[in-house]
Amino acid sequence: MVRQIAFGYGQSAIIGLAAVGALLGLWEVLADWYDVPTWLFPKPSDFLGRLGADWLMIAGHAMATSITILQGFALGVLVSVPLAYAIVSIPALERGLYPVIVFLNIMPKTVIGPILIIWFGIGPLISALIVFLMCFFPILVDAMHGFKHVDPRLFYISRSMGATNWQGFWKFRLPAAMPAIFSGMKIGIVKAVEGVIIAEFIASDAGLGFMIMQASAFMDVSLMFAGLIAAALVALVFNSAMSIFEKVLMPWSGRGH
Amino acid sequence: MDKGNSAAMSSSSPVRAMVGASIVASGITKVYGHGTNAALHALGPMGLNVKPGEFVSLIGPSGCGKSTTLLLVSGLESVTEGKIEFDGQILRKPISDVGIVFQDHLLLDFRTALKNVMLQQEIRGLDAAELRARADMLFDRLGIAGSEGRYPRQLSGGMRQRVSIARALVHDPSMLLMDEPFGALDAITRTQSRHDLEMLWMETQKTVLFITHSIEEAVGLSDRVLVMSKSPGMIVEEIKIDLPRPRPAHLGEYPEFAQYAERIYQIFAKLGVYKF
Repeated sequence: MVRQIAFGYGQSAIIGLAAVGALLGLWEVLADWYDVPTWLFPKPSDFLGRLGADWLMIAGHAMATSITILQGFALGVLVSVPLAYAIVSIPALERGLYPVIVFLNIMPKTVIGPILIIWFGIGPLISALIVFLMCFFPILVDAMHGFKHVDPRLFYISRSMGATNWQGFWKFRLPAAMPAIFSGMKIGIVKAVEGVIIAEFIASDAGLGFMIMQASAFMDVSLMFAGLIAAALVALVFNSAMSIFEKVLMPWSGRGH
Repeated sequence: MDKGNSAAMSSSSPVRAMVGASIVASGITKVYGHGTNAALHALGPMGLNVKPGEFVSLIGPSGCGKSTTLLLVSGLESVTEGKIEFDGQILRKPISDVGIVFQDHLLLDFRTALKNVMLQQEIRGLDAAELRARADMLFDRLGIAGSEGRYPRQLSGGMRQRVSIARALVHDPSMLLMDEPFGALDAITRTQSRHDLEMLWMETQKTVLFITHSIEEAVGLSDRVLVMSKSPGMIVEEIKIDLPRPRPAHLGEYPEFAQYAERIYQIFAKLGVYKF
């Protein structure tokens, strides 16, 4: 069974890579055939070559972007999980604070960018703040759902054990809510890697978004494409890390036999 | 030393109860909510008397307040009226000298079977080695040895329920409260579980308050069966079950079994539980 799955993964990876390879090959041949200028629409060999030639610079920006994602996402988790618990535990907060949060979430967060620039100036920290705003809400909503939908009879069990509130939280409620928190975090990380590039467009002097914006100013389209690929790789790394993290942290969430 | 006192001590006390605790409840009533329209009169007034080490079943139609009775007796819900004495002491807060099993196993998905059971030790701060030895004994006795390291999702329904019974017994409480523990199991597993529980009970002499829908289970396990009426629940009949133990898988071996079962059917018929 395990071998079958592993084989399945390997097989689909090979098919996926072959498809991407075929697409790039076709692109290369067609662009060459019709003699499309590089400054308009670069060939794969142009931007892949650029990725190789400028890899140090691109990696530097990719690192900056990654750090921004980590900062914004970590802040998002650290704020929304405790806040979700507070909102679920205190009915007044759910009635008073939660509608405000929902309203704030409706506002387009990229608009907040320019406001933040006026307040704090330009820099990666502002991007991190925008990333935080992007991923905060999905984590909050799912964490609230997780904390709310714990079987109430579980509290009977914990109270009959004489568990303190603290033990009730750490041993029962938080782990029971973890799968829901994780599904929020998975949406959150997607939002974060999506948002970080836009945040860097408007509010940063480092990172892949900033690099792409600069390349655009110089009409350096192949660098823009190289940046796009680097951004996709960063997103892939974060999404995979999240899945691995989930499997390590919650071995029970996988199906048994 | 007076048995009553030792059992009433906190569960972390080194002096463990040798025999089960007693329950004496009088005039207990439970009303959920307030106001004449919104309030739900779930139970009583009802009296209940369970002797130390006794196995007592509560049987009755759905919604008659059986589960409410269990929550009141454990102190997890407070009585609206009346009073409950647990081993001679008036109940004011949840008692911890108790093990509870619900119809759903209510195991924690994120802990292995053994870690679910050892939660009792973690929360209560009991001696790990001692509790581990008891857990091993219970896993063995309940026929789930070998599944210690598995997560609840990797276990069958019957096995999960056994783990949940082990969790309720590992800290050696003086009372076991069970709310339809075998209700969700298939007939074969249910019969086996009934037998395993009976054997454990005969060995440990804990007081058991057992809630069930099943006449077979009630007669097959109990010293006494208390039959409850429909909501608001009250005890309408007490039937002493005088059958030798351990009782067989096929209770029809005893001619008395049919008589006991017939009596309970008659009471249900009189109460209008069945509409044929």
